[in-house]
Amino acid sequence: MVTDKPAPKFLNLLQIRLPPGGVTSIAHRVSGVFLFFTIPFAAWLFDLSLRDTGGYRQVLDWLHTPLLRLVAALLVWSLAHHLLAGLRHLLLDVGIGVERLPARRSAQLVNFAALGFAALYLAALA
Amino acid sequence: MTRAAQGLRAWLLQRFTALYLAAFLVYAVARLLLTPPAGYDQWLAWMGQPLTGVALTLFVAALALHAWVGIRDVLIDYVHAVWLRLSLMAVVALLLLGSGLWVTRALLLAAMRAAQVGA
Repeated sequence: MVTDKPAPKFLNLLQIRLPPGGVTSIAHRVSGVFLFFTIPFAAWLFDLSLRDTGGYRQVLDWLHTPLLRLVAALLVWSLAHHLLAGLRHLLLDVGIGVERLPARRSAQLVNFAALGFAALYLAALA
Repeated sequence: MTRAAQGLRAWLLQRFTALYLAAFLVYAVARLLLTPPAGYDQWLAWMGQPLTGVALTLFVAALALHAWVGIRDVLIDYVHAVWLRLSLMAVVALLLLGSGLWVTRALLLAAMRAAQVGA
Protein backbone atom coordinates (compact mmCIF):
# COMPACT_ATOMS: atom_id res chain seq x y z
CA MET A 1 0.00 0.00 0.00
CA VAL A 2 1.31 3.43 -0.94
CA THR A 3 0.58 6.28 1.43
CA ASP A 4 1.50 9.95 1.27
CA LYS A 5 1.98 10.44 4.99
CA PRO A 6 3.73 8.16 7.45
CA ALA A 7 1.40 6.44 9.92
CA PRO A 8 0.76 8.71 12.91
CA LYS A 9 2.77 7.77 15.96
CA PHE A 10 1.34 9.09 19.21
CA LEU A 11 3.71 8.52 22.05
CA ASN A 12 1.60 10.70 24.32
CA LEU A 13 -0.74 8.27 26.09
CA LEU A 14 -3.39 11.00 26.43
CA GLN A 15 -3.49 11.42 22.65
CA ILE A 16 -4.06 7.75 21.88
CA ARG A 17 -7.71 6.96 21.10
CA LEU A 18 -8.17 3.21 21.05
CA PRO A 19 -11.19 1.70 19.26
CA PRO A 20 -13.48 -0.46 21.50
CA GLY A 21 -11.76 -3.65 20.31
CA GLY A 22 -8.40 -2.21 21.32
CA VAL A 23 -9.73 -1.39 24.79
CA THR A 24 -11.12 -4.95 25.11
CA SER A 25 -7.77 -6.38 24.05
CA ILE A 26 -5.53 -4.40 26.40
CA ALA A 27 -8.02 -4.82 29.28
CA HIS A 28 -7.97 -8.61 28.66
CA ARG A 29 -4.23 -8.43 29.26
CA VAL A 30 -4.34 -6.12 32.26
CA SER A 31 -7.09 -8.17 33.94
CA GLY A 32 -5.17 -11.39 33.25
CA VAL A 33 -2.00 -10.06 34.86
CA PHE A 34 -3.99 -8.80 37.86
CA LEU A 35 -5.71 -12.19 38.22
CA PHE A 36 -2.30 -13.89 38.12
CA PHE A 37 -1.09 -11.77 41.06
CA THR A 38 -4.15 -12.72 43.14
CA ILE A 39 -3.45 -16.48 42.79
CA PRO A 40 -0.97 -16.91 45.69
CA PHE A 41 -3.14 -14.79 48.02
CA ALA A 42 -6.26 -16.73 47.04
CA ALA A 43 -4.43 -20.03 47.73
CA TRP A 44 -3.35 -18.75 51.16
CA LEU A 45 -6.85 -17.50 52.10
CA PHE A 46 -8.41 -20.76 50.85
CA ASP A 47 -6.08 -22.85 53.03
CA LEU A 48 -6.68 -20.62 56.07
CA SER A 49 -10.47 -20.73 55.62
CA LEU A 50 -10.44 -24.55 55.77
CA ARG A 51 -8.00 -24.94 58.68
CA ASP A 52 -10.44 -24.39 61.58
CA THR A 53 -13.31 -22.19 62.74
CA GLY A 54 -10.89 -19.43 63.74
CA GLY A 55 -9.25 -19.41 60.33
CA TYR A 56 -12.63 -19.32 58.60
CA ARG A 57 -13.73 -16.32 60.72
CA GLN A 58 -10.40 -14.57 60.15
CA VAL A 59 -10.76 -14.84 56.36
CA LEU A 60 -14.37 -13.55 56.48
CA ASP A 61 -13.29 -10.63 58.72
CA TRP A 62 -10.50 -9.72 56.31
CA LEU A 63 -12.84 -9.94 53.31
CA HIS A 64 -15.11 -7.39 55.01
CA THR A 65 -12.41 -4.73 55.41
CA PRO A 66 -12.64 -1.70 53.05
CA LEU A 67 -9.26 -2.49 51.45
CA LEU A 68 -10.16 -6.08 50.55
CA ARG A 69 -13.59 -4.97 49.33
CA LEU A 70 -11.84 -2.63 46.92
CA VAL A 71 -9.56 -5.48 45.82
CA ALA A 72 -12.65 -7.69 45.48
CA ALA A 73 -14.37 -5.09 43.26
CA LEU A 74 -11.25 -5.03 41.07
CA LEU A 75 -11.32 -8.84 41.08
CA VAL A 76 -14.98 -8.89 39.99
CA TRP A 77 -14.20 -6.50 37.12
CA SER A 78 -11.12 -8.54 36.13
CA LEU A 79 -12.93 -11.88 36.21
CA ALA A 80 -15.94 -10.53 34.32
CA HIS A 81 -13.85 -8.77 31.69
CA HIS A 82 -11.41 -11.64 31.25
CA LEU A 83 -14.21 -14.21 30.95
CA LEU A 84 -16.37 -12.15 28.57
CA ALA A 85 -13.44 -11.01 26.42
CA GLY A 86 -12.24 -14.63 26.33
CA LEU A 87 -15.67 -15.87 25.19
CA ARG A 88 -15.70 -13.14 22.52
CA HIS A 89 -12.27 -14.37 21.41
CA LEU A 90 -13.51 -17.98 21.17
CA LEU A 91 -16.50 -16.86 19.07
CA LEU A 92 -14.21 -14.84 16.78
CA ASP A 93 -11.99 -17.94 16.47
CA VAL A 94 -14.88 -19.97 15.05
CA GLY A 95 -15.86 -17.14 12.71
CA ILE A 96 -18.78 -15.60 14.63
CA GLY A 97 -18.95 -11.79 14.71
CA VAL A 98 -15.80 -11.20 12.71
CA GLU A 99 -17.28 -8.40 10.56
CA ARG A 100 -16.25 -4.90 11.51
CA LEU A 101 -19.54 -3.68 12.98
CA PRO A 102 -20.51 -6.79 15.02
CA ALA A 103 -16.92 -7.01 16.31
CA ARG A 104 -17.14 -3.38 17.41
CA ARG A 105 -20.52 -3.92 19.07
CA SER A 106 -19.40 -7.06 20.94
CA ALA A 107 -16.25 -5.28 22.14
CA GLN A 108 -18.37 -2.42 23.53
CA LEU A 109 -20.71 -4.94 25.14
CA VAL A 110 -17.78 -6.71 26.87
CA ASN A 111 -16.24 -3.42 28.07
CA PHE A 112 -19.49 -2.11 29.56
CA ALA A 113 -20.78 -5.44 30.91
CA ALA A 114 -17.57 -5.98 32.90
CA LEU A 115 -17.91 -2.51 34.46
CA GLY A 116 -21.58 -3.32 35.08
CA PHE A 117 -20.70 -6.45 37.07
CA ALA A 118 -18.24 -4.47 39.21
CA ALA A 119 -20.92 -1.79 39.78
CA LEU A 120 -23.44 -4.50 40.76
CA TYR A 121 -20.96 -5.89 43.29
CA LEU A 122 -20.37 -2.46 44.82
CA ALA A 123 -24.13 -1.80 44.87
CA ALA A 124 -24.73 -5.13 46.63
CA LEU A 125 -22.30 -4.04 49.38
CA ALA A 126 -24.07 -0.75 49.99
CA MET B 1 8.32 -30.61 18.03
CA THR B 2 8.66 -27.67 15.65
CA ARG B 3 8.21 -24.09 16.85
CA ALA B 4 4.94 -23.79 14.91
CA ALA B 5 3.57 -26.95 16.55
CA GLN B 6 4.58 -25.60 19.97
CA GLY B 7 2.70 -22.39 19.26
CA LEU B 8 -0.37 -24.33 18.14
CA ARG B 9 -0.21 -26.48 21.25
CA ALA B 10 -0.11 -23.41 23.52
CA TRP B 11 -2.95 -21.82 21.50
CA LEU B 12 -5.13 -24.94 21.88
CA LEU B 13 -4.21 -25.37 25.56
CA GLN B 14 -5.25 -21.77 26.26
CA ARG B 15 -8.67 -22.36 24.70
CA PHE B 16 -9.43 -25.75 26.25
CA THR B 17 -8.41 -24.60 29.74
CA ALA B 18 -10.47 -21.41 29.21
CA LEU B 19 -13.61 -23.46 28.59
CA TYR B 20 -13.19 -25.46 31.81
CA LEU B 21 -12.24 -22.38 33.86
CA ALA B 22 -15.29 -20.47 32.58
CA ALA B 23 -17.73 -23.33 33.20
CA PHE B 24 -16.38 -24.07 36.68
CA LEU B 25 -16.30 -20.40 37.67
CA VAL B 26 -19.88 -19.69 36.58
CA TYR B 27 -21.08 -22.79 38.48
CA ALA B 28 -19.05 -22.02 41.63
CA VAL B 29 -20.08 -18.34 41.79
CA ALA B 30 -23.75 -19.22 41.17
CA ARG B 31 -23.69 -21.84 43.92
CA LEU B 32 -21.88 -19.51 46.35
CA LEU B 33 -24.50 -16.80 45.72
CA LEU B 34 -27.55 -19.09 45.82
CA THR B 35 -26.56 -21.26 48.80
CA PRO B 36 -23.79 -19.50 50.73
CA PRO B 37 -22.24 -21.72 53.44
CA ALA B 38 -23.73 -20.84 56.84
CA GLY B 39 -20.46 -21.41 58.66
CA TYR B 40 -17.18 -23.31 58.87
CA ASP B 41 -18.83 -26.75 59.13
CA GLN B 42 -20.83 -26.31 55.91
CA TRP B 43 -17.84 -24.81 54.11
CA LEU B 44 -15.65 -27.77 55.18
CA ALA B 45 -18.36 -30.27 54.22
CA TRP B 46 -18.64 -28.67 50.75
CA MET B 47 -14.88 -28.53 50.13
CA GLY B 48 -14.37 -31.99 51.65
CA GLN B 49 -16.65 -33.73 49.14
CA PRO B 50 -14.76 -36.01 46.72
CA LEU B 51 -16.41 -34.45 43.66
CA THR B 52 -15.51 -30.92 44.82
CA GLY B 53 -11.94 -32.05 45.44
CA VAL B 54 -11.54 -33.52 41.97
CA ALA B 55 -13.27 -30.60 40.20
CA LEU B 56 -11.21 -28.00 42.12
CA THR B 57 -7.93 -29.85 41.60
CA LEU B 58 -8.69 -29.89 37.86
CA PHE B 59 -9.52 -26.17 38.12
CA VAL B 60 -6.17 -25.48 39.81
CA ALA B 61 -4.29 -27.40 37.10
CA ALA B 62 -6.21 -25.67 34.29
CA LEU B 63 -5.66 -22.26 35.92
CA ALA B 64 -1.92 -22.87 36.32
CA LEU B 65 -1.56 -23.88 32.65
CA HIS B 66 -3.76 -20.99 31.46
CA ALA B 67 -1.89 -18.42 33.56
CA TRP B 68 1.45 -19.86 32.44
CA VAL B 69 0.64 -19.47 28.72
CA GLY B 70 -0.82 -15.98 29.26
CA ILE B 71 1.95 -14.57 31.44
CA ARG B 72 4.60 -16.10 29.16
CA ASP B 73 3.03 -14.28 26.20
CA VAL B 74 3.09 -11.00 28.14
CA LEU B 75 6.74 -11.52 29.17
CA ILE B 76 7.75 -12.37 25.59
CA ASP B 77 6.08 -9.16 24.39
CA TYR B 78 7.49 -6.74 26.96
CA VAL B 79 10.68 -8.20 28.45
CA HIS B 80 13.40 -8.39 25.83
CA ALA B 81 16.50 -9.10 27.92
CA VAL B 82 16.71 -12.89 27.76
CA TRP B 83 18.23 -13.39 31.24
CA LEU B 84 15.51 -11.25 32.84
CA ARG B 85 12.73 -12.93 30.85
CA LEU B 86 13.92 -16.41 31.82
CA SER B 87 14.33 -15.40 35.47
CA LEU B 88 10.79 -13.96 35.58
CA MET B 89 9.42 -17.08 33.88
CA ALA B 90 11.09 -19.23 36.53
CA VAL B 91 9.52 -17.10 39.30
CA VAL B 92 6.10 -17.36 37.62
CA ALA B 93 6.42 -21.15 37.26
CA LEU B 94 7.39 -21.49 40.93
CA LEU B 95 4.50 -19.27 42.07
CA LEU B 96 1.96 -21.23 40.01
CA LEU B 97 3.31 -24.64 41.01
CA GLY B 98 3.56 -23.62 44.67
CA SER B 99 0.04 -22.16 44.78
CA GLY B 100 -1.40 -25.18 42.98
CA LEU B 101 0.21 -27.68 45.35
CA TRP B 102 -0.84 -25.56 48.33
CA VAL B 103 -4.51 -25.60 47.30
CA THR B 104 -4.35 -29.34 46.53
CA ARG B 105 -2.91 -29.98 49.99
CA ALA B 106 -5.63 -27.85 51.60
CA LEU B 107 -8.28 -29.85 49.71
CA LEU B 108 -6.81 -33.19 50.83
CA LEU B 109 -6.68 -32.03 54.46
CA ALA B 110 -10.25 -30.74 54.17
CA ALA B 111 -11.41 -34.12 52.86
CA MET B 112 -9.73 -35.84 55.84
CA ARG B 113 -11.23 -33.40 58.37
CA ALA B 114 -14.67 -33.67 56.77
CA ALA B 115 -14.44 -37.50 56.95
CA GLN B 116 -13.52 -37.29 60.68
CA VAL B 117 -16.43 -34.94 61.39
CA GLY B 118 -18.79 -37.20 59.46
CA ALA B 119 -17.61 -40.39 61.20
